[in-house]
Amino acid sequence: MFKRVLIANRGEIAARIVRTCRRLGVEAVVAHSEADTGAPWLADAAAAVCIGPAPARQSYLDADSVLQAAEQTGCQAIHPGYGFLSENAVFAARCAQHGFAFVGPSATAIRRMGDKIEAKRTMAAAGVPTIPGSNGAVAGLEEAEQAAAKAGYPVLLKAAAGGGGKGMRRCDRAADLASAFAEASREAEAAFGDARLYLEKLVEGGRHVEFQVLGDAYGHAIHLGERECSIQRHHQKLVEESPSPALTPGERDALGHRAAAAAASFGYRNAGTLEFLRAPDGALYFMEMNTRLQVEHPVTEMVTGLDLVEQQLMIAAGRPLALRQDDVTASGHAIELRINAEDPDAGFRPDPGLCTALAVPERVGHGSVRWDGGIAAGWRVPANYDSLVGKLIVHAGTRAAAIAAGKEALRGLRIEGIKTTIPFHLRLLDDPDFVRGAYDVLWLERAGV
Amino acid sequence: MAKVVLGPIGTSRERALGDDAWRAQLAHARALNAALEAKREEVRRGWGASYEERVKKKGKLTTWERVERLRDRGTDVLPFGTLVNYGRTFGEDAKTSPGAGVVTAFVQVEGRWVVAIANDNTVASGSWWPQTPEKIQRAQEVALRLRLPVVYLVDCSGLFLPEQAQTFPGRTGAGAIFRMNALLSSEGVPQIAGVHGDCIAGGGYMPIISDVVYMTEQAYMVIAGAALVKGAKAQHITSLTIGGPDVHVHLSRCADHRVPDDATLIDCVRAEIAKLPSPACAYYRYGADPAPPRFAPEELDGFFPADHRHSYAIREVLARLVDHSLFGEFLPDVGREMVCGVARVEGLYAGFVANNLELTDHEVHRGRKRPGGILYRDGIAKIAQFSRACNDDGIPVFWLQDVSGFDIGPEAEREGLLGFGSSLIYTNSTNDVPMFSVLLRKASGAGYYAMDGLPYGPVLQLATPLTRLAVMEGRTLAIGAYNARLDDEFRIVAKDEAEAEEIRRGMAAVEERIGRDMDPVLAASNRDVDEIVRPAEMRRWIGALTTMAYQATGYRRIKNPRIWSLHDLEAIT
Repeated sequence: MFKRVLIANRGEIAARIVRTCRRLGVEAVVAHSEADTGAPWLADAAAAVCIGPAPARQSYLDADSVLQAAEQTGCQAIHPGYGFLSENAVFAARCAQHGFAFVGPSATAIRRMGDKIEAKRTMAAAGVPTIPGSNGAVAGLEEAEQAAAKAGYPVLLKAAAGGGGKGMRRCDRAADLASAFAEASREAEAAFGDARLYLEKLVEGGRHVEFQVLGDAYGHAIHLGERECSIQRHHQKLVEESPSPALTPGERDALGHRAAAAAASFGYRNAGTLEFLRAPDGALYFMEMNTRLQVEHPVTEMVTGLDLVEQQLMIAAGRPLALRQDDVTASGHAIELRINAEDPDAGFRPDPGLCTALAVPERVGHGSVRWDGGIAAGWRVPANYDSLVGKLIVHAGTRAAAIAAGKEALRGLRIEGIKTTIPFHLRLLDDPDFVRGAYDVLWLERAGV
Repeated sequence: MAKVVLGPIGTSRERALGDDAWRAQLAHARALNAALEAKREEVRRGWGASYEERVKKKGKLTTWERVERLRDRGTDVLPFGTLVNYGRTFGEDAKTSPGAGVVTAFVQVEGRWVVAIANDNTVASGSWWPQTPEKIQRAQEVALRLRLPVVYLVDCSGLFLPEQAQTFPGRTGAGAIFRMNALLSSEGVPQIAGVHGDCIAGGGYMPIISDVVYMTEQAYMVIAGAALVKGAKAQHITSLTIGGPDVHVHLSRCADHRVPDDATLIDCVRAEIAKLPSPACAYYRYGADPAPPRFAPEELDGFFPADHRHSYAIREVLARLVDHSLFGEFLPDVGREMVCGVARVEGLYAGFVANNLELTDHEVHRGRKRPGGILYRDGIAKIAQFSRACNDDGIPVFWLQDVSGFDIGPEAEREGLLGFGSSLIYTNSTNDVPMFSVLLRKASGAGYYAMDGLPYGPVLQLATPLTRLAVMEGRTLAIGAYNARLDDEFRIVAKDEAEAEEIRRGMAAVEERIGRDMDPVLAASNRDVDEIVRPAEMRRWIGALTTMAYQATGYRRIKNPRIWSLHDLEAIT
């Protein structure tokens, strides 16, 4: 195990990683920007290193500064958290050059899963169901027509070389395909210098279900069950649960095993997540793989009792996974509520500023409560970064009990000085559709909680 | 412990190059690439459909079908020497010899790179033409230098007799092929021969020196064909009865295995290659994985200005050639007109030396700038030292040339440019680490030599459609030729307009002739470059060549990076 680990991230995830490091007797060195000087999560760190001014590009995204910080403070490993440099293959490769263990997968795995076409192909080869469509880029209109007919309309044409909505066209009928193809192709050429397109069946709505996997350096991989992440606003997750109300135990076992086998099939190492879409017709499709720890990993930890960061550090230190699939058991139900510095009554407008008071409930009547926070009284939330200031996670024997615990915990959570999403979550947990588990990725924007 | 630290280089195409410049340069490149592609296709067709039909009628595969079957599915075949003899004709009836009647290529077989040498049975039944022996020997030389297994797919009807004077007697005449066979064998390089058809006269020595020889039912090997055997007609003796598998597999034992047809033969050759030691490349990656550049190699097609006098950012080119676009530049502040350093390619370390075309500060005269593409003293010293270090460390080196020549003038002479230049020439002449030259654009003057140009023995020399090979640019040569008629600013001095016009026309004629001589296709035809590749193909070639350089073990020094000489140099500079 490592003596010192550099944490190249900020906010609640930095605090959360520090907690595990302390428990394991590992010294946590936390890198921070000027805007985060004096941040509450630095208090428990063994050391703090300023790596640059506020803009992320000059601090948390500046690989040179992060590497230099690790070098100067004598660290053996770098934990990237999520976001920032966590899914940067070049950064992972550069860590290896310096002899730092990158607490995450290999550069090759990051790059491979970051290429959406290659990711889909890899998963299909491993027996994981993927959205019907072309196998990679289509050679021309005729091939697109064949792929569309096979996949079934409506379909999406997408630029093979990039994203951001450029070179993307929806197509509802065969008659529309030629013009859509020509337009998307031209747009892709103009945007990316590469006119190639690929084609996928369009799935509207549906539910977002994801599987947590862990793999070691010796080819062994397991899954830790699934998380439900369908409460989204503009594709941003707001609430996560484990287990998912939408999956049967049989489906969970079958898909989980396939996810673990897929990860093992290309030698995936460390923590990763396979994201699936459950279509309205019940079909489950692989969407993408996140090659890092997820924001919502705590719900998996609460139902399994495992510490994912501990597992990550062990794997990064070269230890074989001590867990076997049979060792993984899940009990009860966990719900995570993302507490953002946003005003839900003003269109979720960000509300950074001075936090004047913080009170976190330590217990609830039935179940347990966990707070992963990056905030404290007296801390001024900077405007430079993501608005997430903390995660409130509750666990109880049943989903209904977890919902009740969640409401109780929310009422006990007091954050003053800034607006937060607490009122939104209270309304959500009271909503009959939510209570029944009857929602999909578009539900929130329709229901307007 | 010394670390090999590579840093990110390069920017997105949009930032490196404006859209307008990009489109103009890409359009220019596409025209050149299309012309190159057309020539490749022309060579590939051999003598045309009727000759292909003759091959089919015999129940044989064409040579290209054999090569395609030989390779691992989904992998590249990298032909070289494609344009040898392009544009030349032979004999009184002006026959062409596409590719000199032989395909030489790097082929991946059972996960290993091999050099395939396959007589083209769609070109005069695989005859040997002028330059055919030299093209084959070049392929054998590359195999010897990198210890790559050689596969001969023999279908050779002997010399093209009307041109025998150019092919038989000289130092590199046809017999030198057999000498190379012997040298390869003596160095322990595996050679496997498949005899598909005719194998007459000297052609017979090539397969038999090989380690394993397969013959098909239609194959024969004879010192002299039936046509030269007295009484053969009366006794109904054919070349097949004289030297077919009945004789050589079962009686003389000059061949090992008898197989029914071409397809089976190729499959057996693949099985032989599978028995060889696994490539050592994974070992020499020291835990790294191959990775593509962060910036697309395909973008290189549009990166070079049409006018060879205009500059471009060489680091942007490097960023599209190396893994993750990570590069460790050596002495970046010394001799800025040269860029050199180490990177990983396909996960394996490789050194790069390249000309920086942009203006750089004068070393001595503050405030003055000097043009790029020229070898000045400090740059020469830097790359010579880098070359020696890579040789010591076993790091293969790619010399990316866009060089006009050495620095000239009284100042350069006083600085001892001749000495520094000689030191570089000495180093590149005596290095034994694999080195490769890539002529990006200009390959001029002694700079072309010093940067490991062909006379200095690179393992392979690649060119692009933009390459210009000449002792100096046409305009420079015209100035030299007419110097007595020019003033110090190289303006024409004449007693009248008629004389001035005459001088102008004379200079233009010189420039035009040099322009024709600089054509990379002419160079390829004469074997002055091994292959012309599109800029977008460079990464594929460099990746393959680096992999080949690490495939075999035991024949060259490869230091682990902890003990590189490069670290010593970094520490003291």
